[in-house]
Amino acid sequence: MTLELLYEHKEVVEKINDEVNYQLVKDLSSSDDNFVMLALNFVGVVGKLTNRLAYNDDITTGVFKILRSPTSSIYLKKKSALSFLALLKSNHSILTEDLQRKQLWIQRILSLLDDTENYRLTLATIPLIEFIAKYIDPSYCTRLLPQVTEILYNCVVIGTSTSSDKQFPLEYTFANMPNPWLITKVVSLLSILIASPTERDSNSLLQTNNIDTELLNKLRKCVSVAIELGTRQGQDPMERIVQNTVLFSLINFASKLDPSDEAIGNSVSALCSLLASKEINIRYLTLDSLVKLCSSSGKPAIDAVRYKNLDMIFHLLNTERDSSIVRKVVDLLYTFTDAENVKIIVDGLLQYILSPKNLAEPQIKSDIAVKIAILTEKYATDINWFVLISLKLLSLTSSTTINDDEIWQRLCQIVVNNPSLHKLTCEQLVDYLCKKQASEAIVKAAAFLLGEYPSLVADKIPGVSLFGLFAEKYFSVSNVAKAMILTTMIKLYKTSPEIGSNVIKFFQLELNSLDIELQTRSFEYLNIIQLAKASGNVEVLQVLFEPMPPFNSKSNPLLKRLGSLPTSAGSATLINTSSTASSSTSVLVPKRASSSRSIGVPVPPPPRRSTTNDINSNIDLSEDFSGKDFYYSRQILAPNWREGFTRMISHKQGVLFTSSLIKVFYRITTPNSQQSYAFHISLAFINLTEWEITGLSTQVIASKTQSNPEYVIMNVNLPSAATIKPHKRVEQSYELSVRKPFDVEDSPILAIHFKCGGSINTINLKTAIGMTTTLVSSEVNPSMHLTLAQFITRWKTLSEALGRDGEYQISGIKLKKDFKKAETIGLEDGLLLLVQTVKRLGFDIVEQTSVHSTIFVSGIVHTKSEGNFGCLMKIQYQENGVANVTCKTTTAGPLAKYIAECTRNVLAK
Amino acid sequence: MRLVRWFDVHSSDSQRSQDAIAQIYRLISSRDHKHQSNFVEFSDSTKLIYRRYAGLYFVMGVDLLDDEPIYLCHIHLFVEVLDAFFGNVCELDIVFNFYKAYMIMDEMFIGGEIQEISKDMLLERLSILDRLD
Repeated sequence: MTLELLYEHKEVVEKINDEVNYQLVKDLSSSDDNFVMLALNFVGVVGKLTNRLAYNDDITTGVFKILRSPTSSIYLKKKSALSFLALLKSNHSILTEDLQRKQLWIQRILSLLDDTENYRLTLATIPLIEFIAKYIDPSYCTRLLPQVTEILYNCVVIGTSTSSDKQFPLEYTFANMPNPWLITKVVSLLSILIASPTERDSNSLLQTNNIDTELLNKLRKCVSVAIELGTRQGQDPMERIVQNTVLFSLINFASKLDPSDEAIGNSVSALCSLLASKEINIRYLTLDSLVKLCSSSGKPAIDAVRYKNLDMIFHLLNTERDSSIVRKVVDLLYTFTDAENVKIIVDGLLQYILSPKNLAEPQIKSDIAVKIAILTEKYATDINWFVLISLKLLSLTSSTTINDDEIWQRLCQIVVNNPSLHKLTCEQLVDYLCKKQASEAIVKAAAFLLGEYPSLVADKIPGVSLFGLFAEKYFSVSNVAKAMILTTMIKLYKTSPEIGSNVIKFFQLELNSLDIELQTRSFEYLNIIQLAKASGNVEVLQVLFEPMPPFNSKSNPLLKRLGSLPTSAGSATLINTSSTASSSTSVLVPKRASSSRSIGVPVPPPPRRSTTNDINSNIDLSEDFSGKDFYYSRQILAPNWREGFTRMISHKQGVLFTSSLIKVFYRITTPNSQQSYAFHISLAFINLTEWEITGLSTQVIASKTQSNPEYVIMNVNLPSAATIKPHKRVEQSYELSVRKPFDVEDSPILAIHFKCGGSINTINLKTAIGMTTTLVSSEVNPSMHLTLAQFITRWKTLSEALGRDGEYQISGIKLKKDFKKAETIGLEDGLLLLVQTVKRLGFDIVEQTSVHSTIFVSGIVHTKSEGNFGCLMKIQYQENGVANVTCKTTTAGPLAKYIAECTRNVLAK
Repeated sequence: MRLVRWFDVHSSDSQRSQDAIAQIYRLISSRDHKHQSNFVEFSDSTKLIYRRYAGLYFVMGVDLLDDEPIYLCHIHLFVEVLDAFFGNVCELDIVFNFYKAYMIMDEMFIGGEIQEISKDMLLERLSILDRLD
């Protein structure tokens, strides 16, 4: 406590820093729990105030040790989890710096969740995991989805069901309601892990369409139960708060679950009925929820809200006295405005600003003004209406303290770009100027636009009166506006020289101005006029004050002001607004500018493929130098992975991995014989121990998921259960389709995580899918069988056509031990074994008798995108169990190498 | 101002922190208890969740993206624990036993996250700590 206070003062920190660190390390390793807890408390509180602690390796390791130690008490574990989080927040590199440490530590942290008995530890761990998922590396966390869903389901569905006869842990409920803390935390973790349908290009990882349907149903069930609970009438105020907590956190989450339009409609109507609630907090939260729902679920939600509930919302706008709520109402209106209802909404908002009884904070009024400006520009179908509203808005600004240069500047840009608007706008501006209290924004806009197009209003107001009008306004506005008026005057002089003497007088007067800018301008303009007069050359003026070219600023500066608006809806909304803005503003922009404008329209992101492995947290780091995903290439494989890998190249089924704990079988099948590039891979995990294996989860990691990958992994099913009883098995399957030739070394990695007898295990294995896997043997398709003559002609043709491009040679392959069992392995035996091996791969042997020591083989490899390739291979057997492989393919490039490598893998020892 | 705890760097110099507190005070106390919600935006990155218990305001500043109602639960739980610990708590308890109030806060929150929500557990733990002195 004292120490924490000390950290508020810098000098003190400097002096005692080392002392404190020493003491902390000592306390952290103390055997007395109370000392350790004090130290952890200190770390938790101070950890984020100064980053010294986080950069001290002794302290971070100390805290982590407590976290992972199986003997720490639950208090210690909870505290260490959160203090570790505090340290991590101020220094991400604790986990990112050292790759091995990162893998190891994150595995440890994630495994804390396996302890399902103890919700209290879960509660402290989830924020830590959420932070890792959000800022460090989400790819580690996706596999937690089933576990986390289970917690939520237990809480919301089972925890509240009255009929359940199972004795349910009391911890999952609170004040007769599901435990709100657990729920909000779990939900916020889930929303990070699952990307909503509208934000495909965000770096969240799981798309709803590849989440297991069972999980998805569970999650949806949770939402519906929560809505049911939410409408229940509670008496106790605490109970009601909890009820709201659960309700709103799940409704906000629901849009991520790919709901049907009907479901959205239902939740919207449930929410809207809450708008009439007597409790202010509920109204606020409902509006907040609606804003989120409308911006994330798009059209169905928006339609449901605006067709039925617009009146209600306007009613709220006009009666509500809380600025927080008004702000939300305005946000909501802003979210669902479009071309259809823009007039109604803008009118409503204008009325609100105008109405004297709404003494809202000026801040809010200014916000609303900006929003009106954006909405009118974005959705106006009638440009004249747009001008009228904008001018009205500008004229208002005098009554409040709003000073929004952006609004009038934007208006001027649009008017200049649209010749059809010039006349109307100028006439309107003259009208506004003639009124007594023209606002400064109007004066500025008028100074600019009337200076540009004085001839358009010449029949309405002669040049002299226009000059008079400006001269009158000149003395009631700020210096910036004055400077603008000076420029306007010289422009007026350009079109109507008869006011020359007045203008000169005015400038002469302003030569005495105190403001240096005004003084300079008057002096310069005066000289220009005199110069033009003296030489009788009017062209000087014409050249100096040419008409404004169209503006080509593509983005609306007003949008920047909205930074704080739909933050709750995440980036998706901002992308939406900017893209709709740039497409719909074209209404207001002349044709010639529209071509350059279209460049500014964001290109829609390419649709993502549906693999669970689309996981790259850091876009800049996602590919290593060879173009492979960073996440793939940094996996550390199990020591004896190659054995299973080689087996998988040559056999369609077998053992992938064995250890004292677990055995993994695989089977590769081709579901459709017409598509021999698509495989179904099933895995079986067998528990070899006497204990249960728990927390089993797996990931299939592709070498590339972005930028035209060589193969794609699809439909990854989860292991059929997370727990394997002793000597029992659990199965899993996924599909893989080969799009282009690739190196067998880039095959997918299978990461298996499980817990057994207190130890936490991770096994990373490479599951071989080579080009040879796509071979179809001639027994299935006899038409592919080649005779020797055909083989020789084709070999020659290929040599002539491609030269050495389509060829690859590996010599001196030492054959497997099996081949050399007998010391006196003869030529015949050697050849026989070679033939068997190659046949097993799926190659076709060309029958011949002319060359004894060599076998000729042929085959066709299949790919989805690039079609099929023929492949010819000569395997020459030498004495001493050594073989040479020469491979030719019908295409140039590395395919021949890939096939030869596969063959080598199978043959070599 | 009875208790205050910063979980994130607000500013290096303590004067600015004091200013922030004063601003928060002005903002909250100007709000109508009956007709306004318990939530208000404070700055570009923070919103305030507050609740009044008799003469005492409990205010939490949270990220704009966080769910509001859970923080009301936080506050309520904190008050319940204070109440149970001191036995019908009043402002004076907190004023004179501020170190105990801080101790309770530390047992409930670490690094800005809640770490224990079971009232029984908290009270058991607090009574152990209380007896240590």
